[in-house]
Amino acid sequence: MDRQDIIDHLLDHYETPRYHGTLAGADVVMPGGHPDCGDVVTIYLKVDTTGQFIEGLAFEGEGCSVSQAAASILAEMLQGAPLTRVDELEFTEMIDTLGRDVVKSRQRCATLALGTLKAAVAHYRKAQQREQALTDG
Amino acid sequence: MAEYANPGVLVNTAWVADHLNDPNVRLVESNEDILLYDTGHIPGAIKIDWVADLNDPVTRDYLDRERFEQLLGAKGISNDTTVVFYGDKNNWWATYAFWVFKLFGHKDARILNGGRAKWIAEGRELTKTVPNYPVATYRAPERDDRRIRAFRDQVMEHLKQANPTLVDVRSPQEFSGEKLHMPEYPQEGTLRGGHIPGAQNIPWAQAANADGTFKSRAELEELYQGKGITPDKDVIAYCRIGERSSHTWFVLTYLLGYPQVRNYDGSWTEWGNMVGVPIEKTYQG
Repeated sequence: MDRQDIIDHLLDHYETPRYHGTLAGADVVMPGGHPDCGDVVTIYLKVDTTGQFIEGLAFEGEGCSVSQAAASILAEMLQGAPLTRVDELEFTEMIDTLGRDVVKSRQRCATLALGTLKAAVAHYRKAQQREQALTDG
Repeated sequence: MAEYANPGVLVNTAWVADHLNDPNVRLVESNEDILLYDTGHIPGAIKIDWVADLNDPVTRDYLDRERFEQLLGAKGISNDTTVVFYGDKNNWWATYAFWVFKLFGHKDARILNGGRAKWIAEGRELTKTVPNYPVATYRAPERDDRRIRAFRDQVMEHLKQANPTLVDVRSPQEFSGEKLHMPEYPQEGTLRGGHIPGAQNIPWAQAANADGTFKSRAELEELYQGKGITPDKDVIAYCRIGERSSHTWFVLTYLLGYPQVRNYDGSWTEWGNMVGVPIEKTYQG
């Protein structure tokens, strides 16, 4: 994609966000945010019964176009994906996915949703471990 | 707008509409949101981004003379161009870009009163077409950081005065130390909450009306002079990184005509983290 295509893609997601809103039955509701541009994203994560795959992923948020478009693109990209894909997805890959040429000056905004999702996955796993420990105990 | 000390520094939306095709006028949009310009801007306007264009990519500082000349030349701005800044959020980032241009002494810089919001509220034309101007020649002096910019050592010297005049333009919650950033913004970035000792808290946006235009001169005088920020003082304004305080610097310098106002761009992200400097904190929670 050239620069204009990247901008159009981001604006499309910003103006018509996918998977935007709350998610009924979410296993984790994880808020996240960055100070320098006032972006706030809350990730709703639901994991399937195997505990291995994303069953549902949605977000709510406010802030700049890059942060909100990134959340939409991420949610669309990871529906049904294994949780390990979240582990593997690095910030640099996210920036490249969004369009490095356009978002490089707002990298914190571009990676806000991913960072929040990673925190949500970590929270889910800890909760599962605690539950397992109680069951085993 | 004739009431202000320097009325020519502000233009209204009608003036801009009348000068859309004036080759001596360049409209510059500067926003917090990097893609806002791409959703639609005033016809003929170019974008200058505070991170990508105005900041040095390595050192926490502004661009140097050479990069400034290249930037303006590439945007088709020459030394004689009338540059009119406008942007989102009460022209917060527009005044920041204005301030950086003044560090290089650009002669004819102005602000669109009411900014992007007022232009849109009036139903005026927006376009997604990005203009392409012929490259211009721009010759800038070395950046002058002495007159309108303050550094931490200068702030510390300032504090040795009997009654140092500092304006903390952040929110009351940041000023008191309750929060490290504006309410609704994530709270991180500095180790300590509070303010520089002796500072007066006058949040920057109090200088703006609901439609984004600047308040009247009488209202502004009451706002600042009521807290001892008078034109006879050597004034330093600050916030977190110097962007909100650029708005106050603009108001005091151009709308009220104060002769000595500096913007401390290190601001609370420097002062609140710096070893060996005092703070005041009124929040006891």
